[in-house]
Amino acid sequence: MRIIVIGAGEVGYNISDILSREGNDVVIIDRNEERLKEVAENIDVQTLQGSGSSPDILKKARLDQSDMIVAVTDSDETNIVACLLAAVQSRAILKIARIRNPDLNRDTKIFDRNHLGIDLCINPEREAVTSIISLMEFPGASEIIDFAEGRIKLAAFYVNGKCEALGKELRDVKNSWGAQDFLVASITRNGEPIVPTGKTVLQENDYLFVLSESQNVRNILRFFGKDMAPPQRVFIMGGGNTALMLSEALEKKGLLLKIVEKRQDRCDYLASVLDKAVILHGDGTSQDLLKEENIQDADYFIAVTNDEEANILGALLAKQLGARKAIALINRVDYTHLVPFVGIDAVMNPRQATISKILHFIRKGKIISATPLRDEKAEAVEFIALETSEITKKPLKNIKFPKGAIVGAILRNDKVRIPWGDSVIEPGDRVILFTLRSVIPQMEKFLTVKLDYFA
Amino acid sequence: MKPAKILFILGAFLFFLGLMMLLPLAWSLAYGDPDVEAFAVSMFITCSSGGFLYFISRSPGETTLNHREGFFIVAAGWLLAGIVGSLPYLIHGVIPGFTDAFFESVSGFTTTGATILTGIDGLPHGILLWRSMTQWLGGMGIIILSIAILPLLGVGGMQLYKAEMPSPVKDKLTPRITETARTLWSVYVILSTAEFVLLLFGGLDPFEALCHTFCTMATGGFSTHDASIAYFHSPYVDGVITLFMIIAGVNFTLHHALLLGDFRSVLKNGELRFYLVLLLAGTLLVTFDLWKAVFDGLVESFRYALFQVVSIMTTTGFVTDNYANWPSLSRFILILLMFVGGSAGSTGGSIKCLRILLIFKHSSMELYRLVHPHAVSAVKLGKRIVYPETMASIWGFFILYLSMTVIATILLLLFGLDPLTAFSSVAATMGNVGPGFGLVNPSSTYADLPGPVKGILSFCMIAGRLEIYTILVLLTPEFWKK
Repeated sequence: MRIIVIGAGEVGYNISDILSREGNDVVIIDRNEERLKEVAENIDVQTLQGSGSSPDILKKARLDQSDMIVAVTDSDETNIVACLLAAVQSRAILKIARIRNPDLNRDTKIFDRNHLGIDLCINPEREAVTSIISLMEFPGASEIIDFAEGRIKLAAFYVNGKCEALGKELRDVKNSWGAQDFLVASITRNGEPIVPTGKTVLQENDYLFVLSESQNVRNILRFFGKDMAPPQRVFIMGGGNTALMLSEALEKKGLLLKIVEKRQDRCDYLASVLDKAVILHGDGTSQDLLKEENIQDADYFIAVTNDEEANILGALLAKQLGARKAIALINRVDYTHLVPFVGIDAVMNPRQATISKILHFIRKGKIISATPLRDEKAEAVEFIALETSEITKKPLKNIKFPKGAIVGAILRNDKVRIPWGDSVIEPGDRVILFTLRSVIPQMEKFLTVKLDYFA
Repeated sequence: MKPAKILFILGAFLFFLGLMMLLPLAWSLAYGDPDVEAFAVSMFITCSSGGFLYFISRSPGETTLNHREGFFIVAAGWLLAGIVGSLPYLIHGVIPGFTDAFFESVSGFTTTGATILTGIDGLPHGILLWRSMTQWLGGMGIIILSIAILPLLGVGGMQLYKAEMPSPVKDKLTPRITETARTLWSVYVILSTAEFVLLLFGGLDPFEALCHTFCTMATGGFSTHDASIAYFHSPYVDGVITLFMIIAGVNFTLHHALLLGDFRSVLKNGELRFYLVLLLAGTLLVTFDLWKAVFDGLVESFRYALFQVVSIMTTTGFVTDNYANWPSLSRFILILLMFVGGSAGSTGGSIKCLRILLIFKHSSMELYRLVHPHAVSAVKLGKRIVYPETMASIWGFFILYLSMTVIATILLLLFGLDPLTAFSSVAATMGNVGPGFGLVNPSSTYADLPGPVKGILSFCMIAGRLEIYTILVLLTPEFWKK
């Protein structure tokens, strides 16, 4: 595929890196020549200096021969114009735009294929908020991802001191749990993903990806020593658009909110928009204010200001003062590794959410859905097994999967099965597969039979 | 720096070089020449050592390279190429000493064309073909070639491309580095084929045509005859070779644009114009200098002047007349042109037209600033601004190039050479030209120079070919610090 990425910021860079590694031809357009130099030195893409909303530049990037355009500059308008120009060229080009302005974003219908021809509009803040809210349903987890319309869930969490399974081999852990209905699909240890086997020993600060039927997730998290009491009181630091979106959603769920915001006028505005939330005027990193507002009773402290360092510090402070869980909004991927070591429970990362959403969308034609997992080194892929596919009608242990791929769950006749070596995938099964990003091209080849089948 | 990754790539590269020896081997077999054994043994040694390195370092995981690894691999790759390239000469015995064989081999790969061989006409076909082939392989860059052909280099390709590509501006033609490398090589192959066919029309036998094509397109300058191109006594052959030397001295991205039908950007290219103007000016000056002084006719003077100016400025080094006997002005112009070289991104060596052009533009901008102290000004290349960092890198290159020339010349003088020989041989090897003046004039060879001098000149050739920085950076202590 030939792909044009407009905007070489964090999102553009990461998307290009992933796409290029997977064998696509990527052209990046950005205004900043210095930034492009940096990009060209690190990833195998062509760079083009100029504005992404200029028809000339897009022509130079050979828009007419491209299959997809991903517009992720800071400017909503540039992104929209670039997609519109592409839409004029051809309806066949897949167009993805990042649109931040909530006014533009409220009604995404006008942008869709039938109107302005943009296939996917992403609001990073909204994506991040959505992921936080689904996460809050399972307070013990750091990430929750849905599969098969929410019937199967992937829960990711850190193993820490309270977990009985620490220091044990996985097969023993499974035996002590009793049933065969969950699967540890992947473990991230010291930032590197490993594919677990029965003999893998769990260590402190391992980041586990566990797959199971939705109704079991709570029990499993509890089994791994996670605290699962549902939240009631939420403290939000920062009152920007993200906070507002988050507050609106949480208020609907009936949670008790306290919002701390520095700017008086913004406080006034929040007070007028939100009905029940307590709006506090002050600094979220001030110990006195937090104590005065009974931070020790808060179930969640969520820091969503624009200043990510302040978010981290605020979350740490709240945690130290007795808040049960702390979540910080962090934009830089580099910082996410630090999370388990400093004591923050989870991060919301709008940029990563954007990247996930885009990849999710791109892969959709081939497979039902795909979700990049933490650090973007692994992915979970959901697809339907077809008769022609190599993976059906054989016990799993007889299939030569590329190293680093593992079948996580099978959904057949509405029944979720967690597979083991003797399981057989039947045609028509929905399969959830875990794979390291490095073997995705091999995996795609492996599944090619199926892809051709669709075409 | 991770040794496994470096050995892996160098191993694959060596194996590839070994495979390249198949062509001269096949040729020798076909002619039943006595050098069959030399090539079989060289090929065995090269392939097996390459294969050995490849397998002991098998699968280093990622092939992402950092800057240092890129520089190191390219420098080491060229050194290794020089060494294995000398094997056929040594094993066959045509050149008995290692220093000499290494010099000849490096002179081949760096497209210099300086030789220590005499009596070339009588050499076996395999050896002659290998000499020419090393030039052709080195012309477009052997590392780039292996990027294009071997699929083992992924993301790291850019680091190698940067370290090997002879140009201050390193643009990619296509999104993928392997694609870019392949595109450049196919342009190279297409142009070479065209020249080959045209030379056949000129009455050359296929072997001569092939060898001379290899050496023209690479701006190398090895010939299959002691007398070089003068041997053919043919204005047609002179013409074809002149034309293709000019072509080889042009940025290959322009050829690519031409093949795609984009005439406008080619015509508007500032460097191309500058390159052609310099060629024309040099030719005219030398023509009038030669007229009546060396040749009687104006047309004859023009023919020899054109060929020699093109040959020297594109850093090819073919000769049709011993220019060491020409008048002073002509000789001065030729030695000056040795420091100009071809265009950036061409197979030509030396400082390159683009750098000289930008240095002129920069200097005239300084004058403009004196007149208009408040004016906003920038060095421009076409519609693009040349940023001060690029400019600084160009000036840095210029100064380093000249200082290396001076230092190498002083070293040579210490070995008792006369100033003209010392200076011109350094200029001719750093610029990858080939023949110089004095003892190394076109009708003579580098054979009589002392051994250490040949070593220094071999170093100059590699440094010149890899545009100084890639080699010098390895010599800084900073590079090796953890």
